[in-house]
Amino acid sequence: MNSHNPTLLELQHAMQRTMLNGRDGDVEAWMVDEGMGTTMRLGIYRNTSSSVMATALRHAFPAVRQLVGEEFFEGASRLFAAQTPRRSAWLDAYGSDFPAFLGRLPHAASVPYLADVARLEWQVNQVLHAPATPPLDLARLAALSEAQLAQAHLVPRPEVRLVRCEFPVDAIWRAVLEGDDRAMAAIDLADAPVWLRVLRTDSGPEVVRLRENEWRLLDALFSGQPLHAALAEARGEQTHALLAAQLASGYFKDLDCDITSVAQSSKG
Amino acid sequence: MKFADTTARDASRPISARAGIGLRFRHHQPVIDTRPDVAWFEVHTENYMGGGRVPDYLDTIRRDYPVSLHGVGLSLGSAEGLDASHLARVGSVVDRLEPGLVSEHLSWSISGGNYLADLLPLPMTEEALSVVCRHVDQVQTYLKRRILVENPSTYLRFVHSTIPEWEFLAHVAQRTGCGILCDVNNIYVSASNHGWDATEYLHALPPGAIGEIHLAGHSVRDAGDGQTIRIDDHGSRVCPEVWALYRFALKRFGPVPTLIEWDTDVPPLDILMDEAMTAQAILDGAGDEFAQSHAA
Repeated sequence: MNSHNPTLLELQHAMQRTMLNGRDGDVEAWMVDEGMGTTMRLGIYRNTSSSVMATALRHAFPAVRQLVGEEFFEGASRLFAAQTPRRSAWLDAYGSDFPAFLGRLPHAASVPYLADVARLEWQVNQVLHAPATPPLDLARLAALSEAQLAQAHLVPRPEVRLVRCEFPVDAIWRAVLEGDDRAMAAIDLADAPVWLRVLRTDSGPEVVRLRENEWRLLDALFSGQPLHAALAEARGEQTHALLAAQLASGYFKDLDCDITSVAQSSKG
Repeated sequence: MKFADTTARDASRPISARAGIGLRFRHHQPVIDTRPDVAWFEVHTENYMGGGRVPDYLDTIRRDYPVSLHGVGLSLGSAEGLDASHLARVGSVVDRLEPGLVSEHLSWSISGGNYLADLLPLPMTEEALSVVCRHVDQVQTYLKRRILVENPSTYLRFVHSTIPEWEFLAHVAQRTGCGILCDVNNIYVSASNHGWDATEYLHALPPGAIGEIHLAGHSVRDAGDGQTIRIDDHGSRVCPEVWALYRFALKRFGPVPTLIEWDTDVPPLDILMDEAMTAQAILDGAGDEFAQSHAA
């Protein structure tokens, strides 16, 4: 029992333990007894919060929901919400760990591709909510010296994402959302892995399979490797032609080129 | 200096003392297609923080209608301080939409970096009052504009509270210069849940600070032992008792921009427009009455 009046911080920490760990005793001694159980009163806040999070997951993972059915999805999302507090008031940011959670969920093991579908849906979600950015003006690349160009980092547009999956989840995702049972039945799960590029277009999210070397080059650039290092790492032929095509596709928004360090390293 | 920007100032359309509707996703397209006769729309700030189609819809809608922003996530009562990144996101939405009004809640949500729930109740203490006032100041300074603070529905109270909620709210307005978003349904719900007198609540609020009124439906849940608790679920029409309280509020405050909110099982736009028409009729009557009583 708490005998003193709590500071605001103490009360809010107690409420945190209540909301996250169900330790109602920490806060109930400070609640006015208004004739209804304290657990029931606290439960109103807990249930509302849990519903908000479950609804966010419903919107973010529509294909997963259809694959497992409403009841399973509801149970899984409530369990996830209980284990994974929100870290932001911005609800669209909630759910990034849901794919990994599904991958660990024993009851979901009968659908081996479920976590991969969720990973794709999360990336789709990310591009759908990404801010609109203009593509890089390629004239800026032409203005660089060879040395500067080699060291330049390309900054990806947030409307473009990459994901690699062990199952042909692009086909599964499309068939599920379009309700196309024939397409679903025709999917060969061995037709994998898939190297996917997700892009927001005016008509919605576009998921396209890339060739492995094409995806790896783009992935290296997206992860911030300088141009020459990304090109050196890329396997296969015609990497320069691939790079040119990727630049022309408007996947990048900016060019980060530290001219000073390039000048110094070229002197050395 | 963003307020010196003529384009931005022209884009900001004031919210008149008429009845508006809370705009939800399912009504984006119908509103664009049918251009319904609605005085203004209010949206939830947190729903428009990303890019893509959702804010694009709103950009289209706000060309024809004044828009107000209503947030739930700033956690004005957090002892640990405001989340600067969330305030920055709110600032970006305000810059983009140039809303006629910006509002938040007298509540808290964040502790230890975790967002626990929307609209958690505060202890009504001097310490909490200082914290809320400090954060309202911080938000108004950052946004370079006045905000409105709304009374929440509450389901529990704390034993060490020393200030009635209505006085607390009036103090916040007085100390920070913010306005009050008077949610008449929330007053009715909280008054029922805690045995307060809803008219006493309305009497205690400073009329000059009331910048907006919210109306919504709520549900009644059996709490056992013959008790009931009212839940602010925004899932039904405004109940007769709340309409009566609204008439009482307008007599005291004069005509105020009034919003119909509906968030659970959102009905077709026609139903919301019907509710808004009821509010508008009361507003029209109250306007005449208020003018007469002040001329007398």
